[in-house]
Amino acid sequence: MNPGQAAVRQSAKEFVAGNIIPYAEYYDKTGDFHAYLLEAARPTGIFAMAVPTEYGGLGYCPLTQALVLEEWGYGCAAMGTTLSASILSMEAVLIAGNEDQKRRFCKPMLDAGIGAFALTEPAAGSDASAGVATAVKSGNDYILNGPKCWITNGGVASVYVVFAATDPARGAKGLSAFIVERGLPGFMPGDREEKLGLRSSNTTFFFLKDVRVPAANLLGQEGDGMKIAMETLDIARPAIGALAVGLAQRCLDECVKHLRRRYPAKSFPGETLQFELADMQIEIEGARQAQHHTMALREAKLPFTKESAVAKTLGTAVAMNVTSRAMRLMGSHAYTSEFGKFMRDAKVMQIYEGTNQIQRLVIARSVLAPPRAAAPAPTVGAK
Amino acid sequence: MTYCLTEAQQILGQRARDFASEFLDPILADLDHGRIFPKALIGRLAAHDFLGLMVPEQSGVAGAGFVSHIEVVQALSRSCPAIASVINNHALVAYAIAHWGSLSQKAAYLPAMIKGEKLGAVAVQEEGPIPGDGPEALLAVRQGSGFILNGTKTFVRNAGVADVYLVFATIRSGLTGFVVDAGTAGLSVGPRLETMGLRACPVADLSFKNVAVSETAVLGGEDPSVAGQLLAIGAVAEAAQTVGIARAAVSHAVEYAKHRVQFRHPIARLQAIQTLLAETVTDSHMAWLGIRHAAQLIEDGAPFEAEAAMVKLFLGRFGSKMLIDAIQIEGGMGICEVVPKHISGPLPLARMFRDIAGTTLLDAPDDFPDKVVAAAVS
Repeated sequence: MNPGQAAVRQSAKEFVAGNIIPYAEYYDKTGDFHAYLLEAARPTGIFAMAVPTEYGGLGYCPLTQALVLEEWGYGCAAMGTTLSASILSMEAVLIAGNEDQKRRFCKPMLDAGIGAFALTEPAAGSDASAGVATAVKSGNDYILNGPKCWITNGGVASVYVVFAATDPARGAKGLSAFIVERGLPGFMPGDREEKLGLRSSNTTFFFLKDVRVPAANLLGQEGDGMKIAMETLDIARPAIGALAVGLAQRCLDECVKHLRRRYPAKSFPGETLQFELADMQIEIEGARQAQHHTMALREAKLPFTKESAVAKTLGTAVAMNVTSRAMRLMGSHAYTSEFGKFMRDAKVMQIYEGTNQIQRLVIARSVLAPPRAAAPAPTVGAK
Repeated sequence: MTYCLTEAQQILGQRARDFASEFLDPILADLDHGRIFPKALIGRLAAHDFLGLMVPEQSGVAGAGFVSHIEVVQALSRSCPAIASVINNHALVAYAIAHWGSLSQKAAYLPAMIKGEKLGAVAVQEEGPIPGDGPEALLAVRQGSGFILNGTKTFVRNAGVADVYLVFATIRSGLTGFVVDAGTAGLSVGPRLETMGLRACPVADLSFKNVAVSETAVLGGEDPSVAGQLLAIGAVAEAAQTVGIARAAVSHAVEYAKHRVQFRHPIARLQAIQTLLAETVTDSHMAWLGIRHAAQLIEDGAPFEAEAAMVKLFLGRFGSKMLIDAIQIEGGMGICEVVPKHISGPLPLARMFRDIAGTTLLDAPDDFPDKVVAAAVS
C-alpha cells in the first residue's frame, strides 16, 4: 500500500465511522433505502471513485477501490452494496461505451448519483441467456419490453444498464446492452423486496413497457450484450469479495470486543475458543490477500477471470463462516442484538452478482483448461 | 439399540405433524413477523398431550418418554420451531421437578404443567460467563427457614409468559435450583428482547430484588450437578429443533429445485444442486441418529452426557450450514422475507435461517461440548 492509498483508506475509515456505522442498525431494521448516505458522501466524491479522472472522477485504481470497499463493508455491507453495484453498472459503460456514452453515464456519479445493472429476469437467474426482455429497432430508437428482477439500486438509480435481446433467436449471442435513463415513459418500477440481509440495499423488480431508448444508447454493437456482461462481472466481483472481507473483519472485531467484556482476563476461555478466533482471522486474511492479488493482476493488465471468481467466492464463504461461528460463540447476546445482521448480510452475498456455484463453474473451467505451452504436460507413458 | 419407533411413539409423531399443519402452518408467518406469543395455543398443545411427554409417569400418555418428546419437537419444528422452543423450555422445568423435585413440588406443579395451566421457564445464564461470578450474579442467601435471592438472570426463554420459573442461584459456590412462581414479590421481567429468529418465543432478563422464597422452593437439595444435567438434556431437545428446521428446509429446496428451470431443465438435474441437497440431507440424518441415540439413553436412565455433547458439537458445525446451503439452492427466492408480488410463495427459508441460528448457541464456557467429548474418550 502506498502513502496515497493509506490516506484514502484512512479517510474511508473516518467516513464509515461517522456516517455509516451509527445508522446501519436503523436501516437494517426498517429495510428502507439509506438515501441520506448519498448526501453524506457527496462532498467526498466517493460514488465517482471508479470514474476515470478524464471524466471528472477520482480515478482510483482497483486496489484503492478495494480498500475503500472493505471499509464500507466493515461499516455496513448493505450500504457498501449500493456503492459497488453502482460501480458495476458504470464499468459496463467504461468497457463498451463510446466517449459520449461514458461522459453521460459517469456524470451522475460525480454528483453522488448511482447506477444499476439490470441483467437478471424471473426466467434468467444463473442462466443469464434465458431472458425474455427484447429490444426492437424502430427508426432512431429501440423499443424495450420485458421484466427485470433482483436489481440492486433498481428503484433509486438515476441511470441503468439494461440487457435485452435484439435477436432472441440467437440466445446469448442476441443479447444487447443499453443505457436507460430513469424516468422514461413505460419504465415501471416495482416495490423493494423485503430481504433476509443487505436489507437497506434497494432491490427491486421493474418492468419495461414500450420504453423508447435512443439508438445512441446501445453499448457496442447489437449482440455484444453477453460479452459486456461477463467482462463487467469479472471486474466487479472482487468488489463483493472486498465488502465481504470488511464484513467478516467487523464481525470478528465485535465478537472479540464482546468476549473481552464478558470474560475477565483471568477467566478468558482456553484454546478451543482462542483457536476459533484464530481460524476466523486466518480465513479473513486469506480472503483479503486473494482479493488484493486479483486487483494487482487487473492493474497489471494480466488475465484475472479465475482470480476474480476466487475472490468473490472465498470472500463471501469466509464472511458466511466467520459470521455463523461468531454467532454461535457469542450465544444469546448475538441472537438478541443487531449482531445477527452480519450473518444475514453474508448469506445474501453468496448469492448476488453470480452465485458461488456460478463462480465455481468459472473457476473449474480455468482449472480444467489445457496446460499452457510453457509447462507442457508429461507425455503419457514416458519414462 | 433400535431406532424404530413403537406404535405409540409413531402415533404421537403423526399427531404432531397433523397439529402443525392444522394449527401452526396457517399462523407461523404472522407469529414471526409480529413477534407474537400464541397464548391460546398452549391449551391446545396440552390437549394433544405434547406438554408432558418428558414426564411419562405423571402424564400417563401412552408412548410418552424422551424419544417421543424429541419426535414431537422435531415434527413441530418443521413448521414453527419457536413453538418447539416454548415447549422445550416448559418441558425441562417439568422434567426437573419430576426428577429432583419434592413430593409437594410434584403435586403443586406437574398436573397443572401437563394440562398447560402453568407454563414453565428455565433461568440459568447470567451476564458473567460463569454463574455466580459477575456483579449481577444471582445469589441466594439463607435467611431464617428460607432464602433471599438477589441478582439477574439473562436471556430467559418464555420470560414474561411463564407461570413458574426454575431459577439457578448460587449458594456459596454451588448452583442450586429454586422453583419460583411468577408474580413473587421482587421478581420482575425485563423488556422483551428482539431475537433474530424463534420470534414467537419471548426472551427477556429476570431480575430479583430481595425475593424471599421458602425452603420448599429448593429443587433437589443443594445438588450442584442438577443444572449441568438439565442443560445437557436441553441440548438434545434443542437439537431436535435444529433437525426439524433443516428437514423442512430441504423439503422446500427439493420442491423448488424440481420446478425452477434454468439451462433448459429443472435445476434438480444439475449435479451441483444434487450435491448440495445430498450433503444437507446427510448432515441432518447423521444429526438425527445422534439425537435418537442420546434420547434413548436419557429415556433409559443411562449415562448420556458424552453422546449429548457430540450432538451439540456436530450441530455447531452443521446446524446453520444446512440452511446456508438450502438457501443457496433457492438463490434470490431463498432470501425473501416477504413473497414478492411477481411470484407465488411460500418462501420460508429466510425465516428458517434466522430460526436455526438460535438453536446452536453457546452461552457459557461450560457450553463448549468439545471438552465433554474429550473427557469421555480420555
